[in-house]
Amino acid sequence: MDDKEAIEICLKGEKDAFRFLVENYQKQAVAHAVAILGNAEDALDAVQEAFIDAFKSLKQFDRTRRFYPWFYVLLRNRCYKMSARKRETVSIEETEILAPRAGLPSEERFALERALVELSKEDREIITLKYLDGLSYDELAEHLQIPRGTVMSRLFYARKQLQAKLTGKFH
Amino acid sequence: MNEINCENVLMAKMAEIDGEEAGFSSEQVTLHIAACENCRREIEQMRLSDNLFKNQTRRGQPADLWSAIENQIGNKTVYQISWKPFVLLVVILVAYKLLEMLPERDFGLAFKLVPLVFIVALFVFLKENPFKINAELTQGEI
Repeated sequence: MDDKEAIEICLKGEKDAFRFLVENYQKQAVAHAVAILGNAEDALDAVQEAFIDAFKSLKQFDRTRRFYPWFYVLLRNRCYKMSARKRETVSIEETEILAPRAGLPSEERFALERALVELSKEDREIITLKYLDGLSYDELAEHLQIPRGTVMSRLFYARKQLQAKLTGKFH
Repeated sequence: MNEINCENVLMAKMAEIDGEEAGFSSEQVTLHIAACENCRREIEQMRLSDNLFKNQTRRGQPADLWSAIENQIGNKTVYQISWKPFVLLVVILVAYKLLEMLPERDFGLAFKLVPLVFIVALFVFLKENPFKINAELTQGEI
């Protein structure tokens, strides 16, 4: 079964088909939500709510598109609503955005994670989508629902912010 | 991006490094950078920041959300609004209005409540609570 089939079956009233979509994308979605919200606990709540939103509005989904970029828009709405209700805390004891990797110094990863956490959530979001997911400018525009030109400028200013945060940590 | 200034050139150069269409010709960008020390320094700094991400990946997050989601969606099916109940309601309300216009007829208080009963029935049919919708909007705004 692929996404399109799962959505077709789900629209016919078979909600178990939705399980396929949840299980296929939940890990990716939580990782994306962590990058916006900065912690895994809130991210899990946001992803759960976003999947429920997706289920309720599946009828409006344009089946010529891919599921995940559409779902991502719902997810980021949930994340931004959630972060508006909560105060942001910048205290990290363990990295939650970047994966530990053998052979790479943990100090470097930790300093980079700290710089990311110190960014605004909007900057952190575009930076992680670009660098960690390798999205193209067109894909960024689709995920963030902004024109391509705005992607260029937002990415540029986010990079500058990141550079400023990294100054003193690496440079 | 029409004007050649440091900001636009830096954006174009970063787009070029990312393998994207830059908006300026490569020659225009190269010419500006060759003459601008500030841009050269900025590009070098951004390249250094870029390199830090080269071997980094997202941390995988454990997640098993299906049972919680299944509980929340319960027995609901994907929300599909059919136009038929609305047409039926309009037909009933028009018929009601015509009956009401008949001269020298008084159908009593029960008859006057008929539109209200149909509107409540429509909300029950749609499984929606109009007061709950308002409450959710208010919470969202807070």
